[in-house]
Amino acid sequence: MKNAAKWLKPEQLLKLFGFGLFIYIFLGFMILPSVNTLTQIFSTKTAAGAADPWAVIRFFFAGTMGNYVLNSLKLAVGLVVTVNIVGVSIVLLTEYFDIKGARILRMGYMTTLIYSGVALVTGYLFLYDNNGILTTAMVNAFPGMDKNWFSGFNAVMFTMTFACTSNHMLFLRNAIRGIDYNTVEAARNLGAKPLKVLWKVVFPTLAPTMFSLTIMTFITGLCAMSAPVLLGFDSINPEIVRLAGSSMADESFPQARAALLSIILALFTIVLLAILSAYERKGHYLSVSKTKTKLVKQKISNPVANTLAHIYAYLLFIIYMTPVVMILIFSFQTYGAIRMKTLDLGNWTFLNFFGKEDYSYLTSRGTYRVREGAVSGVFSNADTLGGIRTSFILSAVAAAIACVIVVIAVNYIFKHKKKGAFLEYALLFPWLLPTILICYSYRTYFNSNDIWYVGNMNLYYAQNVRLLIIIAYTVVKLPFSLRMIKAAFYTIDDELEDAARNLGASGLTTMLKIKLPIILPSVLAVFALNFNALFTEYDMSATFASSYGTSYAMVMQSMTREEGLYGYNVNASGRRAASTVFIMLVSGLILYLVYGLGARDLGERLEARERRRKRWIKLRTSLQHKSKPAEISS
Amino acid sequence: MIRLEDITVKFDEFTALKGISVHVREGEFFTFLGPSGCGKTTTLRTIAGFIQPVSGSVFVKDKDITHVPIEDRNIGIVFQSYALFPTMTVRDNIAFGLKVKKLNKPEIESKVAEIARKVDLSPEQLGKAVSQLSGGQQQRVAIARALVTEPAIICMDEPLSNLDAKLRVQLRNELKSMQKNFGITTIYVTHDQEEALTLSDRIAVFNKGEIEQTGTPNEVYNHSRTEFVCNFIGDINKLSEESISLLNGRGAALDIKMSHYIRLERVPVNAPYTEGALEVKGSVLSREYYGMYIKYTIQTAPQVIRSIVRNDGVSIFEPGTEVIVSLHPGNIMSYPHREVAPA
Repeated sequence: MKNAAKWLKPEQLLKLFGFGLFIYIFLGFMILPSVNTLTQIFSTKTAAGAADPWAVIRFFFAGTMGNYVLNSLKLAVGLVVTVNIVGVSIVLLTEYFDIKGARILRMGYMTTLIYSGVALVTGYLFLYDNNGILTTAMVNAFPGMDKNWFSGFNAVMFTMTFACTSNHMLFLRNAIRGIDYNTVEAARNLGAKPLKVLWKVVFPTLAPTMFSLTIMTFITGLCAMSAPVLLGFDSINPEIVRLAGSSMADESFPQARAALLSIILALFTIVLLAILSAYERKGHYLSVSKTKTKLVKQKISNPVANTLAHIYAYLLFIIYMTPVVMILIFSFQTYGAIRMKTLDLGNWTFLNFFGKEDYSYLTSRGTYRVREGAVSGVFSNADTLGGIRTSFILSAVAAAIACVIVVIAVNYIFKHKKKGAFLEYALLFPWLLPTILICYSYRTYFNSNDIWYVGNMNLYYAQNVRLLIIIAYTVVKLPFSLRMIKAAFYTIDDELEDAARNLGASGLTTMLKIKLPIILPSVLAVFALNFNALFTEYDMSATFASSYGTSYAMVMQSMTREEGLYGYNVNASGRRAASTVFIMLVSGLILYLVYGLGARDLGERLEARERRRKRWIKLRTSLQHKSKPAEISS
Repeated sequence: MIRLEDITVKFDEFTALKGISVHVREGEFFTFLGPSGCGKTTTLRTIAGFIQPVSGSVFVKDKDITHVPIEDRNIGIVFQSYALFPTMTVRDNIAFGLKVKKLNKPEIESKVAEIARKVDLSPEQLGKAVSQLSGGQQQRVAIARALVTEPAIICMDEPLSNLDAKLRVQLRNELKSMQKNFGITTIYVTHDQEEALTLSDRIAVFNKGEIEQTGTPNEVYNHSRTEFVCNFIGDINKLSEESISLLNGRGAALDIKMSHYIRLERVPVNAPYTEGALEVKGSVLSREYYGMYIKYTIQTAPQVIRSIVRNDGVSIFEPGTEVIVSLHPGNIMSYPHREVAPA
């Protein structure tokens, strides 16, 4: 009786509900759909209808399917080399070496934080495809140059090399800023030359971060989607999406082939993450210094090396900044200028943002026709607005749900070390599954009225797909959110919780009034990063490929496709440029709010408030002084 | 006031407290002293209710509070890190306990203002973030927060350990006078013997989950009950077998099966002869200059002996100087052989 009463307490009931919900999500939306995909591989049938479980495996080895895997591996290996070279370079150039204008350079290198995915790829296409501005300029300068250089593998490598350095700028930068400068000074004092110091003292401390970045870059290359799709390169993910939309009438067991490719991708991911985890368990190089000294930037004493380093730094800056600047400029240009890819400095317009008129175009019969919705700006075009609205709502909801789930889970994990471990592994589980596998599994598994635990409702049908996308977004973002928010929880001193309890606060009050305000900046940062990534994501929504879940990135991708069609959506280029600018603005604003304003602690906020108050008093006083003579004269 | 009866605390297989019993009187400044891992903080957390003992009872004013929830014990705590809530202002930190108790706003404001005045926090400081305060000011906030709810007892877990040496001494004095002014029963945890000796009315010396001795600072220092206490409190010379033989030769009657110690300040150097003392010649090996006093390490025939001598500004011995040290049997503390605390 006493036990029953204990379990009927609201806190216990809440705990029970939480556990039930968690098991529901874990089994229902992580395990079962993936298992279903796995079984698809072995559920192939012969033309006569007999079971032939190994058909797709035979097909894999006999046909060209392996090429997709090899291409993805080629891309992944290539990217590990190029991204690390560029990533390490930009971090060293802005944080370690004394390069003039480092602040400006850093801003340029960090543009990938607000300019990525489909927006970035289409921007690169705009500049570098066979009639792109830069390609045209380069062909004019070097007539022998192949104007089609920016296609296939080369284009994907080039684009992704510069698109995938965001993690270097975030994590490697932090690692290098964490180096104790005394260790550098000690090495110099012991006679080591600057390069020797870099190699023997600095790099070893960066090794754990470098290793993690290498693994993450490899996985990014392996799972690449938007760049191969837009730039034309046959890798695994685009093929999965293509096969998922194909039917038995078109080709042999497409679904089973898609499932096999998904599982291959998952196996690679599992192996790589296992390696990463084993490496992390080996431990890190931690500074034993109790009085860390801030890193002082190293001057490159050799004038030739210094000049070359500056040239290299600014060359990279140009590569990073050109697409951003060009897209920004062209978003304010007329259709004609964009179509011809020539800058018309005398003709600026907001048409691409706010234009409402429909475009009239000349038909082959010599008559003008109006293409409804063709010239509308980003904020007038129904399709674009629909994409923005869909992406905004789905991303915001999913990012928020992921944060809520993870905050509650991590609070439990910290309180119950043993039971919490299971919860933690379960939340990290989606990391083992490539996003495409998750989406593909959802698409196939929930495209049925037989799944009892979702109320026998077809979640891939009509508007239900939005719910499915939200669940997929949430599940995919759980591992990242967990790692980040768990790190934030580590910063909470155990004694704070003890103090709150000692002062009479309940568990819920302690969570809401003490712990949550402490971790809130991190939670908001995770929300912002998740939102930014999901708002512009293409891979997942493209895998779902539903007209009810057309994301902003899919709309942008369709604009690119339409640009190639004569007389079709003729202002797609301008609207795409404006869309990219809009995305940059949204992402930039969110990052500023979270990292700029949100990262301030209470002391800094109070100081800022005090400064504002003093400025206001000063302004008021000076205004009063100015108005006094006027009063006298009147 | 506070009575612990046969308290045993276990963490899995490890027994942190082995049936300890202690009695703290009303208004007393009582210190738990001992090396790291000896169980002093565990005892404090057991009193506060953060840890449930596997056996034994905690009484406050003769009421058994062993199973009373933390929030209902009416015990204030000042944590080692102060545990000030970083997202709240000083005022909100102090008011937190009152808000949880759902006191009305004017009452909260008046209580906060009153306690702030008592611990010497200005109204301007109340509006600041805790990160904007110095270490000493933060300590005052922690004390104010613990006292504002008018607890019957206040527990302090090494509250001075995060401060620099000078501030530590300054705040130690402030702490003592504050405790006397409030007249509140205080339990203080520290591993610093000097802190314990200067602050406490009484001290309990902990070792490996047990209390070795409870007594006034003078009792634990001059009449250490066990070899551990004698070693842990203050600096001390352990006499070698040769020294014991020489002393016994002078009629000291020291049991050679026991360990014998003499405190450094009880070893005079070049002092007039005292009846019954053993005088041994030696040479100064090194000298540590502390200002008010000087510590010598002297090589004598039976053993190396250390001595603390008041600095009179005249008799300062350089290394190599020949001196005479006196060992008086009346100053020797003897204990059965036992494992001693690390130096």
